[in-house]
Amino acid sequence: MATYLEFIQQNEERDGIRFSWNVWPSSRLEATRMVVPLACLFTPLKERPDLPPVQYEPVLCSRPTCKAVLNPLCQVDYRAKLWACNFCFQRNQFPPAYAGISEVNQPAELMPQFSTIEYIVQRGPQTPLIFLYVVDTCLEEEDLQALKESLQMSLSLLPPDALVGLITFGRMVQVHELSCEGISKSYVFRGTKDLTAKQIQDMLGLTKPAMSTQQARPVQPQGQPFISSRFLQPVHKIDMNLTDLLGELQRDPWPVTQGKRPLRSTGVALSIAVGLLEGTFPNTGARIMLFTGGPPTQGPGMVVGDELKVPIRSWHDIEKDNARFMKKAIKHYEMLANRTATNGHCIDIYACALDQTGLQEMKCCANLTGGHMVMGDSFNTSLFKQTFQRVFSKDFNGDFRMAFGATLDVKTSRELKISGAIGPCISLNVKGPCVSENEYGISGTSQWKICSLDPTTTLGIYFEVVNQHNAPIPQGGRGAIQFVTQYQHSSTQRRIRVTTVARSWADAQNQFQHIEAAFDQEAAAVLMARLGVFRAESEEGPDVLRWLDRQLIRLCQKFGQYNKEDPSSFRLSDSFSLYPQFMFHLRRSPFLQVFNNSPDESSYYRHHFARQDLTQSLIMIQPILYSYSFHGPPEPVLLDSSSILADRILLMDTFFQIVIYLGETIAQWRKAGYQDMPEYENFKHLLQAPLDDAQDIMQTRFPMPRYINTEHGGSQARFLLSKVNPSQTHNNLYPWGQ
Amino acid sequence: MAELYVKPGNKDRGWNDPPQFSYGLQTQGSSHKRTPLTKRVAAPQDGSPKVPTSEPFTGTPPVGPPPLLTKTTGPPLGGNSSPLRVEPASSSVTCETMLEDVLGPLEQALEDCRAHTQKQIFDDISRRLALLQGQWKSEKLSVPVRKRMALLVQELRNHNWDGADDIHRSLMVDHVTEVSQWMVGVKRLIAERRSLPSGEAAEEKPTTTEENEVISSLSATL
Repeated sequence: MATYLEFIQQNEERDGIRFSWNVWPSSRLEATRMVVPLACLFTPLKERPDLPPVQYEPVLCSRPTCKAVLNPLCQVDYRAKLWACNFCFQRNQFPPAYAGISEVNQPAELMPQFSTIEYIVQRGPQTPLIFLYVVDTCLEEEDLQALKESLQMSLSLLPPDALVGLITFGRMVQVHELSCEGISKSYVFRGTKDLTAKQIQDMLGLTKPAMSTQQARPVQPQGQPFISSRFLQPVHKIDMNLTDLLGELQRDPWPVTQGKRPLRSTGVALSIAVGLLEGTFPNTGARIMLFTGGPPTQGPGMVVGDELKVPIRSWHDIEKDNARFMKKAIKHYEMLANRTATNGHCIDIYACALDQTGLQEMKCCANLTGGHMVMGDSFNTSLFKQTFQRVFSKDFNGDFRMAFGATLDVKTSRELKISGAIGPCISLNVKGPCVSENEYGISGTSQWKICSLDPTTTLGIYFEVVNQHNAPIPQGGRGAIQFVTQYQHSSTQRRIRVTTVARSWADAQNQFQHIEAAFDQEAAAVLMARLGVFRAESEEGPDVLRWLDRQLIRLCQKFGQYNKEDPSSFRLSDSFSLYPQFMFHLRRSPFLQVFNNSPDESSYYRHHFARQDLTQSLIMIQPILYSYSFHGPPEPVLLDSSSILADRILLMDTFFQIVIYLGETIAQWRKAGYQDMPEYENFKHLLQAPLDDAQDIMQTRFPMPRYINTEHGGSQARFLLSKVNPSQTHNNLYPWGQ
Repeated sequence: MAELYVKPGNKDRGWNDPPQFSYGLQTQGSSHKRTPLTKRVAAPQDGSPKVPTSEPFTGTPPVGPPPLLTKTTGPPLGGNSSPLRVEPASSSVTCETMLEDVLGPLEQALEDCRAHTQKQIFDDISRRLALLQGQWKSEKLSVPVRKRMALLVQELRNHNWDGADDIHRSLMVDHVTEVSQWMVGVKRLIAERRSLPSGEAAEEKPTTTEENEVISSLSATL
């Protein structure tokens, strides 16, 4: 139905939200029968160039167990200056500043078009952003040089008053004291022994002592809460010295004998970084950026030994319980990740190597804190360099796209409870009347913390309808949910973004068509996929696939029209027509199929899947395929082998790769050089069109995708051939080309 | 002003390395808003796959040349030219960018800062300008770098600090290998020079008091 598509799109643009169901079944029983749970994909900081933030504090409901924010769904008595909370029905007095409001003079937060609104609030001193570089020096010369240059370049991209620090590691871990004087000093730690936070802080001289000799912080000038430490200095002060320091970095001096891996103490290096920030700047936006060129081979968190003849674990090893170091390493990094998230900091991992680097063990560092995970072959590649540059990209206002220390609080009307969230966050363990007993993802709470996020970071939030069967539809006929995101903006301002949405309840018995028509198959596919990928982390692969298949079958049974024993009679309405395809491609995707991927690659793909917005997530599940020909403008085609034709050019976007594939005839024409002849200029344009579209995609995507330009018969064509549904022939008897 | 180009990726070090966009292209974002490629096609429910309108994949030799230009059936183009090719160094430089044209104003700007800048920083910046000079003279700097430095200096002269800063950033992003050693000095110079005219305290507290002393002593002598 065209109107629902528009409705869905408008809501996504305004509120950053996509529900699996846009008309809600009014009882728990009916909701479970719908198979796909009531859930939403929510982008807390969706880019809204048209939404100016307001400069005052939000008005809250006075009931201590509620504290919902004043929103357009609230009933207002302008005469008595009272408002009724739409969640708990408490009547609240407006604060004195609202004395002048009336029907014709509404505050912004009551207007329907401000269902999403952003407040700028004053909450204590504004602390600068912090960037702590943790750099592996066990790299090849060429790689180290490229990495050094990228880091030097980044100093020009950082905000001038941001604090920056440097830790380098190899066999030992060196914490560099940044000073403007000539001599550079550093504290050296052994890479074999893990230290507690307190030990690290003591050794670095960070503990607030009774004696004043080793003070890390200079006395703060009155009225200026500007702080730094010996290890974290403002960019504008330290950039020249740090540029030189980076330029002078050498490869790890410890010789690596034949047949051995370099001794890399990543576990201790990260531990020291976390401890350093914990001791100096807890609860303020900070990024620990780990640059590594190989797996940790020494100390806590080691992933593989130093003998090259013992390869790093594969999926086969993991399945056979033959990964010696994995459990312990995961435990170490999970401990670090949890501490980091509690402190409000995040850990990015930039791993560039031809072999695995231990992303499988370290992934929690990025996943729990919202940090980035970038996987490349070498630091001297455009993939790394540009992805890294894009970390510092700016929005339409000239502000960095990164935000820090976000807490997301979700409130629901009584008929709903919260079953959990899946995304780059940790639980804040806030119990309350809104919290369900169900466990979907990170559950048992109505509040989560996302330490680092950007305008595309999206959480999947799952709900439970708790109304009893045959209970009447609640008064007003609509259920409501409010999302309150408090965060540190990249300009260091504290902001609060409030999104309040409502949807109609419907009786599943006699309003079934409404519920059916308001199904958002794209959102449903991504939400089910997130559930599947979440399960895949702890369950066996085949079990997850069985579960997914069962859900698909149940959904088709409920919503399909068919005559028994007659497969060709099966029909799904328009709002469900793409869903089976999505499930088909999902079950063969690298998120659920680990075959053909290393554990690191699987972790990398899953990391990105669990945080992207709907459009990008859908691209990952079912890659986009567009066909270019002389017969008209480029058109989307089925991701099927029948779309591969001799006189077509195909552009496939899997999110991680952009593939341009020339059909056989096109390839032959190109080889013959027709594009260089003036009378065949339209052929030249045809060849160029997919290149332009590919460029458009690559210009903004984070992380930078790989770029494959291939043709019929080329070895790289396998990227396309492995993704398309291999339908047998044109004379096909089975639906969907199976 | 910004250079917009695309270079191929490093195929030696990374398989299928994507092309590298210049700083100018990255910051401008997607200028021509093509309709985003996000549509999908539903599978036919009656069981037969879509019948293609042209001949199927056969593997036989080509069936003659492509359609001629007379039929305008080619796909519509976006307005801008598509730089997914390696662009040679910009050819619009008609005259050589002279070292003096660039170094002169930089040294002048540094001189302007002498009174308000810590000696150590002053020396550091001078050292890096000397490095710049050395590299320029020994032909180590490419034409685009020289050309953009000339533009940077122009911005500096017009007190367009943000513009100069942006050019420094574009040089750091696009040509880091050539400029990294001395560019941070230019960056600092812009920052120091920018903080001058208003007489506001820069990051260094001591200079403010010096400045006040100078002013008060001057006013005493008048």
